[in-house]
Amino acid sequence: MKLFYCLLMLIPTAALAQKSIQGKVTDKKGNALPGANVFLKGTYDGGTTGADGIFSFQTSQKDTGTLAASYVGYEVFEAKIGLKENVSDLSIKLEELANELNTVVITAGAFEASDDKRMAMLKPLDIVTTAGAAADITGAMQFLPGAQRVGEQEGLFVRGGSGQETKVVIDGMIVQNPFFSSLPDVQSRGRFNPFMFKGTSFSTGGYSAQYGQALSSVLLLNTTDKVSNNGLGISLNLANAGLNYDYATQNQSVSAVVYYGNLRPLFKLVKQNVEWLHEPEFKGSSLTYRLKPTKNGVLKVYGMYSDSDLSMNSRDPSSESGKMNLVLRNANAFTTSTYSDSWKDGLWTLNSGFSYSRNKDKMTFDGVNFDRFDERTQARVVLTRLLTGNNTILFGGEAHAINLHNGVNGQLYHLKDRYAAAFVESEIYITRELAGRIGVRSEYSSVIGRANIAPRLSFAYKTGRYSQISVAAGQFYQNPDYKYLYRNKELKFERADHLIINYQIIKNQRTFRVETFYKNYGQLVREFTGQKYDADPYRFPWGATNNGGDGYARGLDFFWRDQKSIKNLDYWVTYSFVDSKRLFQQFAQSATPTFISNHNVSLITKKWFEKAKTNLSMTYAFTRGRPYYNPNNDQFLKDRTPAVHNVSIQASKLQSIKGNLVIFYATVDNILNTKNVFTYRYTPDGKTRYAVGPQSYRSFFVGMQIMLSRKATVDKNDF
Amino acid sequence: MKRLFTTVLMFALSVCMVWAQNEKYTQAMADGIKALNSIDRANPDAKTLQDIANRFERIAVAEPKEWLPKYYAAYSNVILGFVGSSLNEKDGYLDKANALLKDAEALVGKPNDELEILKAYQSQIHLAADPMNRWQADGEKFAGFLASAKSINAENPRIYYLEGSSLFFTPEEYGGGKKVAKPLLEKAKEKFTAFKPETAIHPDWGKMETEWMLSQTN
Repeated sequence: MKLFYCLLMLIPTAALAQKSIQGKVTDKKGNALPGANVFLKGTYDGGTTGADGIFSFQTSQKDTGTLAASYVGYEVFEAKIGLKENVSDLSIKLEELANELNTVVITAGAFEASDDKRMAMLKPLDIVTTAGAAADITGAMQFLPGAQRVGEQEGLFVRGGSGQETKVVIDGMIVQNPFFSSLPDVQSRGRFNPFMFKGTSFSTGGYSAQYGQALSSVLLLNTTDKVSNNGLGISLNLANAGLNYDYATQNQSVSAVVYYGNLRPLFKLVKQNVEWLHEPEFKGSSLTYRLKPTKNGVLKVYGMYSDSDLSMNSRDPSSESGKMNLVLRNANAFTTSTYSDSWKDGLWTLNSGFSYSRNKDKMTFDGVNFDRFDERTQARVVLTRLLTGNNTILFGGEAHAINLHNGVNGQLYHLKDRYAAAFVESEIYITRELAGRIGVRSEYSSVIGRANIAPRLSFAYKTGRYSQISVAAGQFYQNPDYKYLYRNKELKFERADHLIINYQIIKNQRTFRVETFYKNYGQLVREFTGQKYDADPYRFPWGATNNGGDGYARGLDFFWRDQKSIKNLDYWVTYSFVDSKRLFQQFAQSATPTFISNHNVSLITKKWFEKAKTNLSMTYAFTRGRPYYNPNNDQFLKDRTPAVHNVSIQASKLQSIKGNLVIFYATVDNILNTKNVFTYRYTPDGKTRYAVGPQSYRSFFVGMQIMLSRKATVDKNDF
Repeated sequence: MKRLFTTVLMFALSVCMVWAQNEKYTQAMADGIKALNSIDRANPDAKTLQDIANRFERIAVAEPKEWLPKYYAAYSNVILGFVGSSLNEKDGYLDKANALLKDAEALVGKPNDELEILKAYQSQIHLAADPMNRWQADGEKFAGFLASAKSINAENPRIYYLEGSSLFFTPEEYGGGKKVAKPLLEKAKEKFTAFKPETAIHPDWGKMETEWMLSQTN
């Protein structure tokens, strides 16, 4: 009986004549979309478009139906159609969904190394595989457009800015001492290991209102959220030995690092231009704990401690012996805790953090005490609200307490600063091709008792599928260097105004980018001593000071990267031009500061040899000569040092030894043994000139990294 | 009486309709799965795969309460993510697979081992599209999804098949290789022997691949 009725039900449908539906699916421009799904909604009837975008299928539906078409990356199309008879020559045009290729991103002034973005021009791995970067984050950033190399100082020198004008920020928190304590005329390394970070964003100007206290640039480092490798790692090289251990469970992970370093063995092998009395010896440890308390929440607690001990005779023509004995003992601690979470499918996002850092330098110059001490406590909260159409608005604030002590010639100076900032910023997509970011930041600093308001603005417009232009402008404030504030607390903020125009095209693993900028400096600190210019970079400013200085920097930079043309070969070329003059510090007239080089060129190549599992990298860097002070020249800062050339190579090889991964690496820096000069100094009588160059000319370094990973062997517990 | 008869008739008709609908659904699913199984695993044809993915998607739209059509549509898109010709194309399919998986999860409404396994598979193929840059993030996801699948149903053979295949394709330098994959693949094979899908249209893939990989480890 049941069967009968069912058959009865089925007969009419089966008996109905099939109708055919045929047409073509294209995008808005009329390009065929092969593989699109075209069907009658609510039925199983439908078809897939062919290479020409044409589809056809049969249906037994009658009267009317809803025809739907879907295609990856496109909006779903729906329309009612009549089904009384065969339908043919339907034309369906699909609208593209917003994606990374058709939606503009704000890029002016930003250079990202990240895993998250497919469009990123650099990946984190690039940092450690670049020859000449010495696996140092800032070492690698120096080769990017807009940055320049200043061999005798640490820091990032961006577009006419000094090293102090760039701030290093980890997970939103300013790092007080990103580099190992600096020594006269020796460049110090960064304290942080590149593997700690999942992404790096290097701003060459016009950066977001979320950050402040940097006239030129911010280097934003974001730590990894989780470790996947449970196990022990060992690193061994000519300078240090270290252990790291990672342990992860479902929701938590811990990483611990300890290391001990001593440069004595290396310095025995590589000829030094510095007379060491106690080769640098350092030890350190860090501990990271990460917890995922909720679905999207991440808590990270990071703490590190490191100390170093060294002593050297540095060249000092002003003393009778021509030498100065320097002893430096540094102890540094940095801790930061951040919590981030998001709710309601990303509608609200919270980023918050708390950090404390403490740094102590016990330093003597020829037995005279120059101790330094600083500590910074900071807290930060940022809330982001996602609005319709991918628009966002964020607001936040930060507060810092900074204490400084500085011994100068045995006299101790103190400084206390309470700094607070609030900011709001919105990203607006006007169309898919045009987006803007508008922000404003306000700051207050107690040491000078002043506040500022800094607007920031950037726009980006997509000119083609792979290309876009962006513009960024803004005002940036920074406290005067603390060394001036010890004696004069009436000073104002120093200011820089940026204007940047950028064009870039990224297509098929090739990137071309050109950026031009104009920077105006205002309220720079000037010092009046009533005496002749003193070129000693370590002098204490005892003269009268005011904010009467100003200056400009303008230029352009250029970047080309190609990972496609030759298999397993990746190379990039950068060129940066900057023209800058300033009236600041003890300058009596406007001049190009000593840290500025007009032309910087670098070529970086990497080749991966699949069979040998070896990566070979070569870097060539050219830095045009910089101004230096010649007391015998009536024209101030008119002399130029010779250009600096450096060719370095690096090889790293992966090998499996008894199931453990081992990476061997070897580098040779300055392979041509060029006798580079960074700057010249004069004896106080102005008669003798001497050159300041690198710590060593040609140098080499070898080491290995062993990963004793639990993953390497299959554990019994896996079964 | 007449009224009763009408009611009975109506009832019978509606049962028939549901039954016919079910039959049609099962048949369409079975046809799709058959087509999917007949694809050349060593060299899958993108066009055929796309056609199959589309078929499952059509069923998914017509049967908004069933999670299996979404599951198979996602599965087909994951395989497409492997055969796609460019990174962009691959990522397009893989994103689509993710969206379908999310829908399927909402339909099931409780933790499901097969969905966790497919999410792991998606991460694995996503990693394979750009291993240098993705091994870290995707490796974590892969392990995480499989761990949660294990906590739901440790007897599911596809967990061990995926674990084994991941090691199988990982270079020895990174702790992978055929040798280390073998015990996991053997375990997968053992579990496959005991495994019975809930119905004929429930997930039942991976056995053939396991056997092929095992044959390569000797």
